[in-house]
Amino acid sequence: MSATGYGWLVLAFPLAGTLALALGWRLWPGRAAGWIGSAAILGSFAASLGMLFELLDRAEDSRSLVGTAYTYADTAGFRADMSILVDPLSVFMCLVVSGVSFLIHVYSVAYMTSDRGYVRFFAYLNFFVFSMLLLILAANFVVLLMGWAFVGAASYLLISFWYRRDTATGAGIKAFVINVIGDVGLVVGAFLLFDGTGALDYAGVFEEAGNAFGRNDGQLVAACVMLLVGAFAKSAQVPLHTWLPDAMEGPTPVSALIHAATMVTAGVYLIARMHPLFELAPAAADVGAVVGTVTLLIAATIALAATDLKRVIAYSTMSQIGYMVLGVSVAAYGAGLFHLMTHAFFKALLFMGAGSVIAAMGGVQSLDKMGGFRKAMPFTFATFTIGALALAGFPLMSGFFSKDEILAFTLNRGGGYVVLAVAGYLASGLTAFYAFRMVFRVFFGEPVPEARELERGHLHHGDPANPATGEKEDTEVGFPGPEHHVAEQAWPMKAAMAPLALLAIVAGTLGIPGVTDTLEHFLEPTFEDSRFLETHPSESSEWLGLALGGGLALLGIAVAALVYLRRPGTALQLRERFSTVHTFLSNKWYFDELFDAVFVRPMAAFGRFGRSIIESVFVQGVLVGGTVGAVRVGTSLARAIQTGELRAYAFLLVSGLGGLVLYFLIVSV
Amino acid sequence: MFTIHLSIVVFLPFAAGLIAAFLPARVGRWLVVAATLGVLGYAIAMIADFDGDSGGLQYVTDDAWISELGIRYQLGVDGLNLFLIALTALLWAAATLWAALRTEDRPRLFMFNMAFAETAVLGAFCAQDLALFVVFFDLMLVPFYFLIGGWGEGDRVRATTRFTIYTLVGSLLMLAGAIALGVLAGPGGDLSFSLAVLAERPLEAGTQQWIFLLFAAAFLVKAPLFPLHGWVVDTYRATPIPVLVVLSAALSKVGVYGFLRIVLPILPDASQHFQDLMIILAVVSILYGSVLAFSQDEARLVVAYSSIAQLGFIVLGIFSLSELGSQGALMQMVNHGLVVGALFFIIAVLTARAGSTSLARMGGMALRAPVLAALFLVVALATLAMPGSPNFVAEILILFGTFEDKLVYGLVASAGVALAAVYMIRLFQRSMHNRTEPSAEPRELGGLDLAVIAPLTVVIVALGVYPQVMLDRTDEATTSKVEAAATAADGSPSAAEAPQAGPPGGGAPPGVQVQP
Repeated sequence: MSATGYGWLVLAFPLAGTLALALGWRLWPGRAAGWIGSAAILGSFAASLGMLFELLDRAEDSRSLVGTAYTYADTAGFRADMSILVDPLSVFMCLVVSGVSFLIHVYSVAYMTSDRGYVRFFAYLNFFVFSMLLLILAANFVVLLMGWAFVGAASYLLISFWYRRDTATGAGIKAFVINVIGDVGLVVGAFLLFDGTGALDYAGVFEEAGNAFGRNDGQLVAACVMLLVGAFAKSAQVPLHTWLPDAMEGPTPVSALIHAATMVTAGVYLIARMHPLFELAPAAADVGAVVGTVTLLIAATIALAATDLKRVIAYSTMSQIGYMVLGVSVAAYGAGLFHLMTHAFFKALLFMGAGSVIAAMGGVQSLDKMGGFRKAMPFTFATFTIGALALAGFPLMSGFFSKDEILAFTLNRGGGYVVLAVAGYLASGLTAFYAFRMVFRVFFGEPVPEARELERGHLHHGDPANPATGEKEDTEVGFPGPEHHVAEQAWPMKAAMAPLALLAIVAGTLGIPGVTDTLEHFLEPTFEDSRFLETHPSESSEWLGLALGGGLALLGIAVAALVYLRRPGTALQLRERFSTVHTFLSNKWYFDELFDAVFVRPMAAFGRFGRSIIESVFVQGVLVGGTVGAVRVGTSLARAIQTGELRAYAFLLVSGLGGLVLYFLIVSV
Repeated sequence: MFTIHLSIVVFLPFAAGLIAAFLPARVGRWLVVAATLGVLGYAIAMIADFDGDSGGLQYVTDDAWISELGIRYQLGVDGLNLFLIALTALLWAAATLWAALRTEDRPRLFMFNMAFAETAVLGAFCAQDLALFVVFFDLMLVPFYFLIGGWGEGDRVRATTRFTIYTLVGSLLMLAGAIALGVLAGPGGDLSFSLAVLAERPLEAGTQQWIFLLFAAAFLVKAPLFPLHGWVVDTYRATPIPVLVVLSAALSKVGVYGFLRIVLPILPDASQHFQDLMIILAVVSILYGSVLAFSQDEARLVVAYSSIAQLGFIVLGIFSLSELGSQGALMQMVNHGLVVGALFFIIAVLTARAGSTSLARMGGMALRAPVLAALFLVVALATLAMPGSPNFVAEILILFGTFEDKLVYGLVASAGVALAAVYMIRLFQRSMHNRTEPSAEPRELGGLDLAVIAPLTVVIVALGVYPQVMLDRTDEATTSKVEAAATAADGSPSAAEAPQAGPPGGGAPPGVQVQP
């Protein structure tokens, strides 16, 4: 079969899985749905391997293939086919996504066993994987947008999976709306490119871009910035990041799959995919690099103070994706994608470990209430520590090679990029600290009652209450069902975590400076047009960077050990000494409050104004001349006090577009 | 050329309604349902049989009607109305089926009025003679007056009054405009109202402008667009569900269809002249409708205001005066009809379970009604124009068409896409998720509800998977309708700098607008 044939198969498996699970939701007994879902993803992984081998059989210069199924929309110069692009980049992404997704499916088979929404969960999960693969394989902007938006919708459904919790549904809406803002960014970006090149398919756009736009042409920069808006919304980069920590309301496998390994890396993939444009518009690439750096710093600092186990990992995800965005923006494509892959392994692993711990705690996620799980959960402890070591960039672990390669490359670009690299190194010290803050607080110290119970072989099931509101959970749509499952007692969870732990250790060998460059070499055909293909940091400077990064990692771990193991009171003392800083960090730099003040309240006021004044007085009163009057004004004012905060995001878009408008006014003068 | 097919399509429902009025209600209501299904079958056959490459009219019926005034009984189908006829047929079939199962109060009269209304709307869509169009357009008012006044809920008197007065004023203005058009365009008493003839007899720019305003008033009220939506709130609250479905899905499209069918080809200079005004109204409607849609507590009003925003998109597409924009607008007319029809049926189901139309009294339905939740989700995502839905294809065409020449307006309008996400997902969440109110009785869709809602959803999904089926057939017609207005020189000197670089609509866009 041809490579594109395998490409369609990659999509067909999870789509078939979704339909089988959704349409036959009453038919599947016990764990059948979980295994059907897992098998579908395994099929995708196998087909991805098929693509890989087909590509490897071809000459390096003919490893980019387009397969077209049918004409999707063709009218008045607008032409989009239902077509997929198979090249080293998309094959690499398919392998990572389907591979990690498969393991997460297997983990979920056990983790979600007692949830009443078992079949629904796997239907959503399969749909998500289908969407993500569609996004990756798309050969034009219309199909890309389709995958892009489906991913957002699947994420919405999974975040609000336990939909009786209003914290979960609120978080779902927040994520969805911010993602739609990203979609709109992509639409505008696609238009600006279409306007210049007359094409919507990648090949056509890239081919024409050089003729249509000059270097740093205003329209091209604007187009790339709009693409970045889409990337930032998906990848939780500042300031469109506030949905990601809230998304931790979803079941833990969802956090592992969507909010660590796959969906949030879509922005990184997009920048890498669009690299010919970004290289033609370096100004936009610099925007990406700066935003990535700002994000990685801000997120790392918030992770220092967060007390919710899953949210610490979420901020760490944000921070790590900041590294990747920085990487692909400074044209370190191989390094950025390398980190994407290793991060997918160790971050999924960390979330799985966290899920196991949270299950042992009976649903409690607060670090303040955990401790001493080392003896009770040896397997979880071992794998979580491996994940933390990889995250921290501990020497010779996978994250060590991939992260430091990004920084070495950034440093090598010289000039202002040095500042970005320094910020990156600084944050890598912080990363090591907060990673081991988790390990030490969860697994070391005095065992909490739940840990003692588990040591005696009994799993604590706790009281099903929403930790955020204290509201009693509805066990029918239940967090997380009437029973909990820990890795120590459920073999599918172990079976999923063990390979990831192994990969978190050894995946770095795909790109050891001066020794191996398997990954970079494989990806080369995609990036062969890059101006930076040959500009590599020298081997010695790479090893110097590695030494620096490794040293910082050790330092961070050592400080964490000092603060949390040797002198357990230190953290409290520090908190009191620097209470202003601590308040600032634990309020997450006040981003939510900022949006509230700048967007939510004005928008709510406009809604009130619209309902009470424009509708009542102008439209109904003046125009219709009816008898509506003061009564309605009064009642609508009273009702208008109940307002949600979601309209903020909509308003955010308005002002963002306003900014672009201003840009054009300036440029066109 | 003479075929009787279209006359059958148009008058079949009316005839069935008339006969049914003299039959026992049990039999009569099913006769009307059968007639609407017959029309639907005809419409599907026409789509299958349609020759997409010919830009001209097909299935033409052309007879002298009032020859002294040059009025002809002229019906025809082209890409412009093909899918609108199908939409009308589909929704009337769904709505009459729904009504046949529920209406207990004077069922024969109700069904007669429903059938009468379908004939009027189909007539307006098929008419190729301006006078005939006006007749059908005004005829629509009659059955809806009785349906809302006779079977409405709540304050139906006020609703009927407002609806009637508002649309009547619009209709009268249009009548005046139509007469003026025929008289002024007919040199030396050679009167003709045939749309094809009128398009060949261009009027002076100044004359075009005031006639344009008369037509615009009628069409914008019907749509409705801000600020002419004063009748909407009361009407949408009071109208019974099957009537509301066809009212918002099909009736509201007659107005915007009129822009494409009549105003753009016959009044091209005025369309160019008032382009900015219309676009501003459209953009304001998008933003205003969206903001109010997520400030509402009543489910019906959320959809009512969302319709104002969606119709804003349609008008935006039309008055982008580009091929892409009008293709998108036409497609969006059909899509909006499909989703809004499905939405009102779903709201009816929800209202029955919650015992109230207030969103605050709904919630948590998904637990006991997974099928309902799944269908609602698909419809909601299509309404907010998620990529992969037909609404997305339509909106991206509208936006691309607008960006070409009116980038700034287009950017403001695209905020409406994000706002749509807010109000639709809010509507879904408030009714389907969170805790169930104690007063609500969540339960699954009944088989008959499913029979009405599921086919609409299937059509939405199918169009999302393969939108080309529609674009293929509408391409030629929209291009020819928008051509004159797109290339028209604006008469007024103040707007002389209007961008004419490169014909907007000629294949690949020129790309001059945003170059620094």
